[in-house]
Amino acid sequence: MPDRNFFLSPKASKARLREAEQARKERWDILKAQSQGQVSRRDLIKMGLFTSAGLMIPISGLSPFGRSAFASSNIPTGLPPSPLGTATPFSQAMPRFDLFPRIPVAALTPAPTAQANTTQQPVDPALGGGTGPIEGRPPGPIWAHQQFGLLPPAIAIDASVEGAKVNTTYNPGVPSAQNSGINPATPIPPRFHPNLPDQNVDKFWTYNGSIPPKLMQVRYGEPVLFRLHNKLSVFQNQNGGFGIHTISTHEHNGHHGAENDGFTGAYFFPNQFYDYHYPIVLAGRNSINTTATDSRASGPTDAGGLMKVPGDWHETMSTHWFHDHMFSFTAQNVYKGIAGMFNIYSGLDRGAEDIVDGVNLRLPSGRASVSGKSWGNLDYDVNLMLADKAWDANGQMAMDIFEFDGFLGDVMTVNLAFKPFMHVERRKYRFRILNGSVSRFFKLSLSDGSPMIQIANDGNLLPHPVVLTQLDEQGIAERYDIVIDFSRYSVGQTVWMVNLAEHQDGRRVSKDLSLSEALSGNSQDPCVGKFLEFRIVRDPAQPDISQVPDTLIPNPDLSNIPVARERVFEFNSGANQTTNDPITSFFGPWGIKTDNQGPTLAADFGRISAAPKFGTREVWTLRNGGGGWDHPIHIHFEECQTLSRDGSASKVPAWERGRKDVWRLRPSGEVKITLQFRDWGGMFMEHCHNTMHEDNAMLLRWEINGAGAPFLNPLPTPIPKPQGVTFMAPDDILPTAF
Amino acid sequence: MNTQLNINGRRSLFSPTFVTLLIGVVMVLVLGGSSVQAQTTTTTTDPAAPVDSSITIAASGSVSDPNGSVTVTGNAIVSARTVIDNTSTTILKIVMVDFDFSQLKGTSGSSKTNLRTYVTGDNLVSEIRPLQDSDTLILSVPYYDSAKGPLTSRTMLATATLKFDVSTGKLVSGSITVGNNVVTSTAVGTTAPVAIQ
Repeated sequence: MPDRNFFLSPKASKARLREAEQARKERWDILKAQSQGQVSRRDLIKMGLFTSAGLMIPISGLSPFGRSAFASSNIPTGLPPSPLGTATPFSQAMPRFDLFPRIPVAALTPAPTAQANTTQQPVDPALGGGTGPIEGRPPGPIWAHQQFGLLPPAIAIDASVEGAKVNTTYNPGVPSAQNSGINPATPIPPRFHPNLPDQNVDKFWTYNGSIPPKLMQVRYGEPVLFRLHNKLSVFQNQNGGFGIHTISTHEHNGHHGAENDGFTGAYFFPNQFYDYHYPIVLAGRNSINTTATDSRASGPTDAGGLMKVPGDWHETMSTHWFHDHMFSFTAQNVYKGIAGMFNIYSGLDRGAEDIVDGVNLRLPSGRASVSGKSWGNLDYDVNLMLADKAWDANGQMAMDIFEFDGFLGDVMTVNLAFKPFMHVERRKYRFRILNGSVSRFFKLSLSDGSPMIQIANDGNLLPHPVVLTQLDEQGIAERYDIVIDFSRYSVGQTVWMVNLAEHQDGRRVSKDLSLSEALSGNSQDPCVGKFLEFRIVRDPAQPDISQVPDTLIPNPDLSNIPVARERVFEFNSGANQTTNDPITSFFGPWGIKTDNQGPTLAADFGRISAAPKFGTREVWTLRNGGGGWDHPIHIHFEECQTLSRDGSASKVPAWERGRKDVWRLRPSGEVKITLQFRDWGGMFMEHCHNTMHEDNAMLLRWEINGAGAPFLNPLPTPIPKPQGVTFMAPDDILPTAF
Repeated sequence: MNTQLNINGRRSLFSPTFVTLLIGVVMVLVLGGSSVQAQTTTTTTDPAAPVDSSITIAASGSVSDPNGSVTVTGNAIVSARTVIDNTSTTILKIVMVDFDFSQLKGTSGSSKTNLRTYVTGDNLVSEIRPLQDSDTLILSVPYYDSAKGPLTSRTMLATATLKFDVSTGKLVSGSITVGNNVVTSTAVGTTAPVAIQ
């Protein structure tokens, strides 16, 4: 079998390592020029470096899969391994997420407004000069916050995206003892390990510019105003060679109006802000339980009670994340660190395991009676963001966008820390696991094969918990909530979380390893094996009273809702681009064919590919048209139910029988789902969450038809500029869209 | 003028510096680099048809449990889908194998007072493997006392040996034995206790 691994082994010959490093430098110059606007991909095609389909010609030196001059046969150049220096695995504590401060809305200046605030300010000459609006949200009624008067924000979060800096305000939300002994008062530099260098300000872009990654804690019944300032450099070339300074944040997967969804074409510029209004409502709020009488449809109050809300309690969500969604730059910007997590608390999923009221499921979290917090306790409720990274010879983050199958890193991080350890007590913990990678899939197990209980998928509590000794593969953006009971271990023992999924490239997992294979150290994939060490350090101070009930959240009953329409989306390589707008269209090897008609199309956010009617339900088939890949497909807006896999309902595994918003299609696979279009209007997206595929250009726009005033039919496309957003008519509407 | 701003970096004219650099890089690659010829990758929207097959395998074995030896029997349904990567000649065929162990049952004890039954729940194991004549997979499988529920789960190992017809891509036969989770003893380490300060 050919040695087709993305990264060279550190044991490779010096000649091959030198060759790979030189090749990376040469690619780097081209990548930097492309990301900084000096050259377009179209230009690279003309130069013969890319094929017309957007694939890079595997010339030796340009592609990690170009043949090595120092190896026989088909052995590729590979990428040089990331230098670790003296950093060793499991030698640093894993930081818990850093809580965003929740502040009064009145503390925001200027006050938030329903329509975008178009107050003018000078625009930096680097961005064209003149004047432009202080808020980058598209102006006017269509992009005004929907139901803003009915659901006014009750709290605010004032945040930024900016370059790397030291964190001096770390708030993990738990005592140091529940954070592996980390002293939050100690400044945290922007580095993956104490023995690795600080990341440069242009390499590492995160929310508030710091690590650990940020966590928003929100609850049903409490609308949130998330004001995000773009504090990146006005100079596009101050990007460390990859990433772009225009941003758009997607709350994945909020049931909000489109103006708050982080639409890929609703990006904004340095020195602007964007107000996202997250009303935190249950789907179906306008048609189900409209008088808010069902106590299961609720959010937690500060006093330990419930605030009832309209909507279907079966649509309760728990674990989201938020990340950049800049058109054709999502992979680069998220890889640079623009990603956080978002816990939603409800009457059912309270974050307080000692509140007994017949509604609270009492999942592992912590005790209100100990912390004084009636909701959102994090002591035993832990967010984990898994991501593979890579860095260059200087220890600075490196990325290679020239392998459009997908980009892989060779270093595992958890919460942006290189292979950390975590102190745990002998009791049950809940872990909210996010795959925050660009292209890598994971398959998780404990090192001793002990059982884990999966309780949620994509942030939705399952109808019933599922016991597993190895989780299913976890695609990019999928969230798996699991419970691990550490009471089976003794104080003084350690156990590791292990990745069983071996990649050779970014197409898909090449092989799922057995536990013993993964632990053997023989895999050529550096991200296989142990990556997080659990140290069982003590017994809990109080008995573990948390529960994992046999019934969690049954699925919404759709039996009385007719299917208005069926659509088919086929995800392929070899896409065509039929439009050429320089702002809205892009091209690459990837694309989507809609309803079995016409060619596979590359992304254009000015094209309407589907327009489901407001208030209806549809059935969508998501089909993998390529034999050799996997695609984790994400649908924005509302959670869906999975009806079948490969034509069979029985092939839907137990952990996918709840609601979801990302589906791994699996090679040559097909998934049939159903979803509703209600409560809100506007334009949304559907795309592959292998973000290299998304950016090149496996993404489409769909919008809700007939949502009423002020929405037009069809919706105009926003064209953001620093001097103000303009609109243009859609440049394409597929014949089956409406 | 600002409307001409190149937001996505796609339309700017080449800077002289970059053109020089790029020409240099290409010249080095074409003239001064290795002699390896450029390869082309063919992409097509026509997927190779997947090959589905499924067999039922009688599984058996025993597991040492704190409640005594558990005898495990039952059928495992093994489904395979072989996929040809139609975009590359260098990547081997893969087979996705799904193991449904939900029909496995275990018992321990024999009298009315100590007879216990064990189940595996909704467990399903999905694996991606390179297609080969014979493949042995060692899988961890949870089991628990049906009277006590999944929170009491423990782990057993299932060793599956599967035979494929590589010409057709079909799964043709297999065997599965069940035994103790021997991984346990080597995969748990030690650390120092830490008290709450």
